[in-house]
Amino acid sequence: MEMLRIEGLYKRFGDKEVLRGLELSVPEHSIFGFIGKNGAGKTTTMKTVLGLLKADMGEIFVNGERVLYGKTDTNRYVGYLPDVPEFYSFMTAKEYLRFCGEITGMSQKENASRTDALLSLVGLSKETHRIAGFSRGMKQRLGIAQALLNKPKLLICDEPTSALDPVGRKEILDILLAVKEQTTVLFSTHILSDVERICTDVAFLNEGTAILQGKPADIKGGLQTKEYRIETKGAEGTALLQNAFGGMRKIDENKIIFSENDHDLSDVLRFMADQRIALLKMDQPEKSLEELFLEVTKK
Amino acid sequence: MNALIAFIKKEFFEQIRSNKLLILLMIFFAFGIMNPAIAKITPWLLEMLADSLAESGMTVTGVTVSAMDSWVQFFKNIPMALIAFVLMESAIFTKEYATGTLVLSLTKGLARYKVVISKTAVLLFTWSAGYFLCYGITYAYNAYFWDNAVAKNLFFSIVCQWLFGIFIIALMVFFSTVSTANTGVLLGTGGTVFACYLIGLVQKANKYLPTMLMDGNSLIHGTKSAEEYTAAIIITAAITLSLFAASIPVFNKKRL
Repeated sequence: MEMLRIEGLYKRFGDKEVLRGLELSVPEHSIFGFIGKNGAGKTTTMKTVLGLLKADMGEIFVNGERVLYGKTDTNRYVGYLPDVPEFYSFMTAKEYLRFCGEITGMSQKENASRTDALLSLVGLSKETHRIAGFSRGMKQRLGIAQALLNKPKLLICDEPTSALDPVGRKEILDILLAVKEQTTVLFSTHILSDVERICTDVAFLNEGTAILQGKPADIKGGLQTKEYRIETKGAEGTALLQNAFGGMRKIDENKIIFSENDHDLSDVLRFMADQRIALLKMDQPEKSLEELFLEVTKK
Repeated sequence: MNALIAFIKKEFFEQIRSNKLLILLMIFFAFGIMNPAIAKITPWLLEMLADSLAESGMTVTGVTVSAMDSWVQFFKNIPMALIAFVLMESAIFTKEYATGTLVLSLTKGLARYKVVISKTAVLLFTWSAGYFLCYGITYAYNAYFWDNAVAKNLFFSIVCQWLFGIFIIALMVFFSTVSTANTGVLLGTGGTVFACYLIGLVQKANKYLPTMLMDGNSLIHGTKSAEEYTAAIIITAAITLSLFAASIPVFNKKRL
């Protein structure tokens, strides 16, 4: 089932067209990485999903219900963490979560137990200071806690890791992985290593449309040219191979790369066996998402 | 309902923890004491100046003050306290726009109209508390030193002035939903009052304007009767209610 569906979304600010017919489908219980350069329209998309921005054209469905601008009905399914979350600085973390619980209409008892559980999940249960004195990482963690408070079916995080140090990033990613069972996570980012680490689905956003969408493995598989990398013992082997097969590229003293389109792998292996070339390692080098992203957005 | 109560609670919490409520009450308290105090020291001040006044040919004889002088001060000072109130509370919406704190509450399913109602309720409470504190103090001192009976239509004039404050709050709320910045709220509110003054320069228009309600001095001296204020009261109340009613749909469509 789809938790979020976006159909033909258009949005312009003045003469700048940010979204041009965006189509997106987020399956239930996925961790969906929404990848795009700064200014690609990630935040605009998320704010439109939340009913905070009015779309020029197109429709959005959260859990099958249509999102209407200015109405907050569909938001009962959604937990939202903005890129720079701001809270009422005169409250403490606990007071803030209690306040959020009261707004969503939780019972007193549920509110208290949920607040305590979430504060310990994000490591803020011993924090008694007001939010005014919180660091960025602490605010981000409180942000996740408030987003998860009413057990949302869809958790939307806008660049949750961008401003954090490696430790802070790991903490956030671990929390997102941990909540995958209970909710669907949609998070935007431009840090592709984060995506490779936790995402089950990705979409590349470029110039207002999703240019690629699917499972990371499928996307990688679909775009790879089949190349093999062979590592031999000693440099003589690679020299022999290069003489025998045209179009092999030497990338190191004893390493060569060739494409499946040029030569059949079994021919190469047979040749190596005949010539008694010692094979140390053979693999298919994978392109990282980052390389893929640069490739597809270059067009 | 629970969400509304929670948000109102949060607003009060903010007023208290940011010390706004305390400072405002202190301002109203200070004005409340100043009104009778100025009236009380007027004869003594004139006596001090008697010598220099005598040199320029004026003689000071038997200056007497009454509660009337204190009430005149009251109606002179309340606009200043109201300005302080507007300056301190004008950011009640726009600060949340600027920091983005509202976004989190709204994305939790809080209905937008409840934000408008909560903030309006807190403004009404703060203004009323401050205003009647000021009135109460002035009234008590006046009763102690002199006799409040000299002021005609006293209670009516007090209510008129209070109503004018509510009109100002309606302007603040309305311009807060229209504008995104604090300056917009101040310009809108100040501009409207200024426009009323300008129109009021035409004598005939005066009795239909909200600014007429600030003329408490004519009432207590008896130079104007309560009936003459009816038109202004009806018009002010109508504008105030319309502004409050318009604020909610405008806020519903506001981009945050």
